[in-house]
Amino acid sequence: MFLEINDLSVKIENKNILKNLNLNINKGEVHAIMGPNGSGKSTLANVLAGKEDYEILNGKINFKDNDLFDLNIEERAQEGMFLAFQYPVEIPGVNITPFLHSAINSKKKRMNEDEIDNLSFAKLLKSKASDLGINIDMLKRSVNTGFSGGEKKRYEILQMSILNPDLAILDETDSGLDIDALKIVTDGVNKLKTKDNSFLIITHYQKLLDYIKPDFVHVMVNGSIVKSGGSEIAAEIEKDGFQKFQ
Amino acid sequence: MNIQDNYQKNKKNIFFSKNKDVQNHREKLINIFKNDRFDKKNNESLKNVNLKNFLDFKYKYLVPEETSVINNNNDNTYSIVSVNGQCSNFKDDKIEITKIVEEDYNDFSKNNTIANNDHFVNLNSLFLNCGFKIIIKKNNNIKIKISNIITDDDLTIFQKNNFICEEGSSLNLIEEYENKNNSTLNILNVIKLEKNSQLNHFLIQDNSPNHNLIITSHSSCKKDSTYIQKVYNFSEGYVRNFHFSELIEINSEADLQGIFFLKDNNISNNKTFVKHLAEDCKSNQVYKGILNDRSTATYFSNTHVDQVAQKTEGYQLSKGILLSENASYFSKPELKIYADDVKCSHGSTIGPIDENAIFYLRSRGMSKIAATKILISSFINEELSSIDNDQMSEIIQKKIVRYLSKVK
Repeated sequence: MFLEINDLSVKIENKNILKNLNLNINKGEVHAIMGPNGSGKSTLANVLAGKEDYEILNGKINFKDNDLFDLNIEERAQEGMFLAFQYPVEIPGVNITPFLHSAINSKKKRMNEDEIDNLSFAKLLKSKASDLGINIDMLKRSVNTGFSGGEKKRYEILQMSILNPDLAILDETDSGLDIDALKIVTDGVNKLKTKDNSFLIITHYQKLLDYIKPDFVHVMVNGSIVKSGGSEIAAEIEKDGFQKFQ
Repeated sequence: MNIQDNYQKNKKNIFFSKNKDVQNHREKLINIFKNDRFDKKNNESLKNVNLKNFLDFKYKYLVPEETSVINNNNDNTYSIVSVNGQCSNFKDDKIEITKIVEEDYNDFSKNNTIANNDHFVNLNSLFLNCGFKIIIKKNNNIKIKISNIITDDDLTIFQKNNFICEEGSSLNLIEEYENKNNSTLNILNVIKLEKNSQLNHFLIQDNSPNHNLIITSHSSCKKDSTYIQKVYNFSEGYVRNFHFSELIEINSEADLQGIFFLKDNNISNNKTFVKHLAEDCKSNQVYKGILNDRSTATYFSNTHVDQVAQKTEGYQLSKGILLSENASYFSKPELKIYADDVKCSHGSTIGPIDENAIFYLRSRGMSKIAATKILISSFINEELSSIDNDQMSEIIQKKIVRYLSKVK
């Protein structure tokens, strides 16, 4: 099993958010989690990425044969986990290019691979940016600073394509995107899909799943997965909403 | 020993103690010290200061054996090594350097309207034992680097320097304060910018833990002149930066900026004060601090706009990053506006490093310490990228790397 979440309960500030949640993802699978506001979807994404604000009450997570809780935030990233943020953080003064270069090399270092030199990285970045329709001038700017909502999401996908993760978690990547931007972002994701990597896509709406076809769809309500199945669940939610699952 | 006894005991070694006007002024100062109940709450010059250490001190001054060195590199660049506050006389067709004289003392003591309640400026006037005057002659464009060297332990240097930029002149001035001995340097720079002149003034402060640096400046700007001051404080000892500017004629500008990097138990007290006394003048006061461990800082900024100073633009900003729960930074911006057609603003943001930004960077594989360092660097990026002198930029970068290497 690639990612195995068993009986996970999590709280923050005395509020239980995830309750005995179970989820298994195999290599090469695309899973979607849908759920109403406040159901715990983003908490799950943040807990997987290692955000330290949460208290783990019980449960276990295994990722690529590692106990995930033994790995800190950066070790999880270096092991191949990637979170595309719902609200990417603006960091004025930190230039995109050296930041991403440093990020990819930290991963290569952990994998005992040769670090990528400046020239090769510049070429890689330029080609990936071009694939995503990102203007080269944007790469001279500070991380997410002054970006529109669509630019931020595209830039998240650019980072994902550079870091080439084993497990990518997309936290409401479709929110705030117009139809053209959604198409560009989802095309970028689809290009990255291989039999060796997996995706966990968090969304409210079926629209995203029209472009990225999931193998499994899970409905999350009140901190637990209450139903799992195929794409037909997404269609059911689109038609009837989440009411019937609550 | 009280201030009065201390002065009486040492006055034969103190500048101008035989001059009547100076004597009268100093009597007034002694009375201030005798009568003042040291209102630590309201007097900004007393914040975070152990008064006993500064008032009850053992006076010691040594006339340096080695004379100061002034090199004219023939490309309008001069380097000066000031030893114990002394500098040799020098004169060419572009600059003139002389020792300060009674008139310089009296000129400041009579006309100084800003720093009246400042006990450290008063101590400087009372125990003055060195200083020099540099005149940049009309329409010259000059670069000067001054290294301020203190030779021995336990010295108490009270120094007053005058800088005069004559009409149409331009001065790029770098002052280095890098002393490793257990001494106190209390220095007052009096700066006069004549019509259409410019002074870019960089102060690099990097003293060892037992060295106290109390630096005050008072600049006045005439028509179309600009004073830009940038302070970089890496000192491990006590540093006080109090800088005052008066915009006395139309279309003049003052830009007072500072960055300080504190750790351990460092203390840094900072103040900037700009008085707008004429129309169409601009001012900018920006201080940024990074504080680790148990370090403490204060920053008082103040823009005073006189009723005649219409079309004033005045901007104040204070920002701080606290790297430790035990570090503290007190900031107080003030605006006093008596004119009705002005654009003024002030702001202050102090807090721990942005945890969301740290999480974001770490989630891309960057270690916590690397993420912290990159965020500190980005915090001061704007100020660093505006340094257009390569040599200065390299010096500052090296000191930042040294500071960051100790951030855990």
